[in-house]
Amino acid sequence: MSSSTVEYIISITSRDRIGIVYEISSALASLQGNIADSRQSVMCGYYTMILRAAFPAEVSQSEIEGKLAEVNANSDTALNILVNQVDDNLLNTVDPQNDYVLTASGADQVGFVARVSGFCMEHCINILDLSTTISDGEFIMMLEIDLSRCASIREVREALADFGREHGLKVVLQHNDIFKAVNEISLPIRSSRE
Amino acid sequence: MRSDEILKTVEMIQKENLDVRAVTMGISLLDCHRADVSRTCEAIVEKITRHAGKLVETCEAISTEYAVPVVNKRISVTPIAHVGAGFNADGFVEIARALDLAATKVGVDILGGFSADVANGITSGDNELFKAIPEALACTQKVCSSVNVGSTRSGINMDAVAMLGKVIKDLAERSADSGGFGAAKFVVFTNQPGDNPFMAGAVHGLDQNEVAINVGVSGPGVIARALERRIAKDGAENLGLHDLAEEIKETAFRVTRCGELIGRRVAAQLSIPFGVVDLSLAPTPNVGDSVGEIMKILGVDAIGAPGTTAIVAMLNDAVKKGGAFASQSVGGLSGAFIPVCEDRYLADAVKDGSLSIEKLEAMTSVCSVGLDMVAIPGSVDAATISAIIADEMAIGMINGKTTAVRVIPVPGKEAGEFVAFGGLFGESTIAQVRSVGKSTRFVNFGGKIPAPIHSLKN
Repeated sequence: MSSSTVEYIISITSRDRIGIVYEISSALASLQGNIADSRQSVMCGYYTMILRAAFPAEVSQSEIEGKLAEVNANSDTALNILVNQVDDNLLNTVDPQNDYVLTASGADQVGFVARVSGFCMEHCINILDLSTTISDGEFIMMLEIDLSRCASIREVREALADFGREHGLKVVLQHNDIFKAVNEISLPIRSSRE
Repeated sequence: MRSDEILKTVEMIQKENLDVRAVTMGISLLDCHRADVSRTCEAIVEKITRHAGKLVETCEAISTEYAVPVVNKRISVTPIAHVGAGFNADGFVEIARALDLAATKVGVDILGGFSADVANGITSGDNELFKAIPEALACTQKVCSSVNVGSTRSGINMDAVAMLGKVIKDLAERSADSGGFGAAKFVVFTNQPGDNPFMAGAVHGLDQNEVAINVGVSGPGVIARALERRIAKDGAENLGLHDLAEEIKETAFRVTRCGELIGRRVAAQLSIPFGVVDLSLAPTPNVGDSVGEIMKILGVDAIGAPGTTAIVAMLNDAVKKGGAFASQSVGGLSGAFIPVCEDRYLADAVKDGSLSIEKLEAMTSVCSVGLDMVAIPGSVDAATISAIIADEMAIGMINGKTTAVRVIPVPGKEAGEFVAFGGLFGESTIAQVRSVGKSTRFVNFGGKIPAPIHSLKN
């Protein structure tokens, strides 16, 4: 995007129904907003979307909020809308060398996610992506994490093994390259390493 | 990435015995020959420790990073007959000791390459190496030996085959207290590859780089579990063998990818060219890590029953198809291994009497790598062992593929008795050899089986 645009992160939550994406995207387009990236998900009939869009500098945040409020006013379902202006360069600067996947599984219990994410916080691990699922009666948490602020992978592994024992969880930490290698066509070999 | 892909991958590595079976550094020792044996030995130890000094720690670091075990770290060297040519048998034994010392210094599990290629004829150096093999393997811990006696281009050197039957007997008898284990460190080949990472037959061929990293993947357990899951999901009645072949292919892709990734990382870290990934399915005696189990899943209730050869052919081909696409450079043996002692299901099939040497031989015509880790009675004479070798070499020669023989004539034991070698070498009931002593006249002819015709393929 050229320097005369401003980027916003916009999130929308609502009961799921036909037409939400059309209404939101049309509203943004009417303000010359260009959608650069978006994710959406539906859970138990509830819809959520997060998107990144760039607007001409002369379009203000309140204009965007106003336009989206109109969409909400005409909607059968209540839309929870949040608009945030992006301050800096909002680029994903994940260092692929420190990109790991952590899976934790165990009995479904209150505080499971808090415990695992607490471990991450304590060890300066940033969570890039998180999903959970239930399989064979076990609660499974999958986290894509960035270990670039950790001193050594060995220390993290040791701490993680202790953590798993202490809480009765199976925890597995593996480099993201392994997942890419076995699931994607191209091998994740970076030229800087060769 | 989808969460089911993540879970499938974690499952594969954590529960299904996915590992990198071997990272093998090939090192050329051609420039190590000196005017006398002791200086040659010094040069060998110096060169191996210089190149492989960091092999083990590098493998371990990368294994920790990826949480994928690298089970064996190994070294293969230039066939020693080339390095030691001009020395006598005692000199060759000294070189074996130097190889053992170097392997111990750098901390690798095994070193292969006390070897010669005599497919077309035997040099004086080859002859001295042959004489040295029994003593060399008896006085060392980590050294493995192999001899290539035939090729599709040259035919089979039956003089060498006759001699090596005696060498195998000698190896077994010198290690009688460990069930003849010495013979498990020696293998006879036709069309031996120079980039094979698997032991006991690894050598660093004359056509290879100065140094190279070759990787052997594993994964019979991963393939067995993938097949079970597929059959449970779709129901056996709704699946054809082509569906199961496809499942094997996809799984082989995943398995090979892990080996490729780790091998190339190790090579890059050590600044050494990456050689090949060997796609072979290599079983271990561990539960859930068996090639025989796959045969049972694919529909024979007893391994060795009619249909087994067809199953092995399909399995071997599907593994190659998946693996070849996963890797930039495939080589080595690349096929399904059927080492009896090292595979619990195969060992049980020999015990039950469903799997005979003759059926194993038939299976080796459609898969790698040959009669491997088969315990036979100690009373079987050298000429009969030579004839077993000749049969297996003929399969390789005619079909343009690698075949090998690693049989262990267990001293003092007969068919039906039990022998255990421990660890990854496993255990087995001793297989019956039929018509012992009936091949002596054939072996005594010696000479050569001429190179086969390369047209009129039937």
